[in-house]
Amino acid sequence: MLLSVRNLQTHLHLRRGVLRAVDGVSLDVAEGETLGLVGESGSGKTMTGLSLLRLLPKGSGRIAGGSISLDGRELTTLSESELVREIRGRRIAMIMQDPMTSLNPVFSIGDQVGNPLRNHDIARGTAVRAAVVDVLRRVRLPSPADRLDDHPHQFSGGQRQRIVAAMAIGCTPRLLIADEPTTALDVTIQVQIIGLLRQIQADTGAGIILITHDLGVAASLCHRIAVMYAGQIVETGPVRRIYRQPAHPYTRALLEAIPRLGAKRGRLAAIQGQPPSLIDPPTGCRFAPRCALRMDKCAEAPPEITLADGHRAACWKLADA
Amino acid sequence: MNGARFLLRRLVQGLVSILGASLIIFVISRLSGDPVALLVPADAPASVIADIRTRFGLDLPLWRQYLIFLGNALTGDFGNSYRWQMPALRLILDRLPATVELAICGLIFSVAIAVPVGVLSAVHRGGWIDRLGRVFAMLGQAMPAFWVGLLLILVFAIRLNWLPAFGQGGVDHLILPSIALGWYPVAAQTRVVRSAMLDVLDSDHIRLARALGTPERLIVWKYALRNAAIPLLTMLGVYFAAMLGGAFVVETIFAWPGVGRTVVEAVFSRDFPVVQAGVLFTSILFVLSNLLVDLGYGLVDPRIRDAR
Repeated sequence: MLLSVRNLQTHLHLRRGVLRAVDGVSLDVAEGETLGLVGESGSGKTMTGLSLLRLLPKGSGRIAGGSISLDGRELTTLSESELVREIRGRRIAMIMQDPMTSLNPVFSIGDQVGNPLRNHDIARGTAVRAAVVDVLRRVRLPSPADRLDDHPHQFSGGQRQRIVAAMAIGCTPRLLIADEPTTALDVTIQVQIIGLLRQIQADTGAGIILITHDLGVAASLCHRIAVMYAGQIVETGPVRRIYRQPAHPYTRALLEAIPRLGAKRGRLAAIQGQPPSLIDPPTGCRFAPRCALRMDKCAEAPPEITLADGHRAACWKLADA
Repeated sequence: MNGARFLLRRLVQGLVSILGASLIIFVISRLSGDPVALLVPADAPASVIADIRTRFGLDLPLWRQYLIFLGNALTGDFGNSYRWQMPALRLILDRLPATVELAICGLIFSVAIAVPVGVLSAVHRGGWIDRLGRVFAMLGQAMPAFWVGLLLILVFAIRLNWLPAFGQGGVDHLILPSIALGWYPVAAQTRVVRSAMLDVLDSDHIRLARALGTPERLIVWKYALRNAAIPLLTMLGVYFAAMLGGAFVVETIFAWPGVGRTVVEAVFSRDFPVVQAGVLFTSILFVLSNLLVDLGYGLVDPRIRDAR
């Protein structure tokens, strides 16, 4: 297994108390596999991604427990300098949400795409320029050799996301974390970026974790889906099963909330209520207060039920069936 | 907009500012009293006074005096100093290099302190360097230049005898006046650098650079600092201009033979042509240094370069 995360606990120490942003997450990503991490804002998707890089908010963020193993190497015990030198940008790279703000406005793209290559000794001196052109060609940026000295504002949103992708894949990382890579882009560009991610994966065999709240994007790119709610994974399984036979009430509600083209007009389906505070989360099932199928038992933590090969969900309802 | 048009517009704006400054100084200096009274003995006959007034053109209506002054100024003639009987402009130009030299050194001193302290305060926000920097900055703003100057002279020139107390000479003569002049802006510059760095360090592109394994040293001193330099640059233009024009106090304390001290002396003797030439020249420098800053943005920020 390329990436193996077990019982990951990430805490944010805030003035109001300790926020359990990631609370017992376990997941696996195989080489060449794309795992979709879906859930609403605040469910802990991004925090999970940042935890893998050990890039938590300075001062307040801390990995409180669990293990992260990449190619068999434990990441939770590495020192900061080992992480900078050997992991971030080298073995695990991350693409951020907003291509408009992800590039440094006052440096040329040649400098920025070359930066990880220089830092990780992939290329040196005059060879950097050639390597940058090469990686920009791989992300299909038009005439890259002529544009190295251009600055971010001279590129469109889609082009900028390609440049960000180029920064991320320059050192051929084993794992690519893409945090809402298409959210800020319009639909035609979204399709192009999804195509680009697929092609990057085909070229390098990297594992991808796609963090998104867009179930459509997840469906078109992912092999497997993990649904997050309130800092925990409530259901995980192959993409087809999740969409055709969602087991957890939250997953079902999420899928029902997608507006369908051509469907009868009416109110959009919405999940009533708010996710719980993660500072003092309720014991038991965290979705229970909003769940239509709530039972007395839900006050206790639900067991994880295996429904089929690789399809698991944590819900009392499934245990009874 | 292209570069030439941008430059032209800025030059016209600058010209208007200079014109305004000339009018203000012309009127205000004449409100201060009659210069002839200081040139002649108290018991001089009225005919002699009238004669001098006619010779200097002080008997004409104010608006005509102003127009004559403007017309002459356009040809580079600011009139002769009442006191020294030599062209006022020459007097100012002779003193200008000393003032520019001092302003540049003062600015270098302030930036040399403000940038590292501001950057480190932002990086170690709430840490000891941040707190120390804030105390220092407050002290800097609370201490007026004349007091800092006197204190420096007292400690480093008189007590320790390390550096000369006044006058112009080698590099050692520059040190104390530069510190006195650059002391005040350090506080404001440190704050600007600190808050700009805090903003930048929290931006997406810095997060991405971190996520891709950029060493912290490069993140702070290369990728973040150049972004933070933009607001600092604006400020430097204003301070440089202020140092050129506002070095009166420091130049006087350290007996620095610059424009400021010359103008101060001219004010006391109501030597209008020298005051006018000095102030007008300072305002021209003010406008020029702001223009330089505007051009400097382009060097730091490519977005501005292309927007022109």
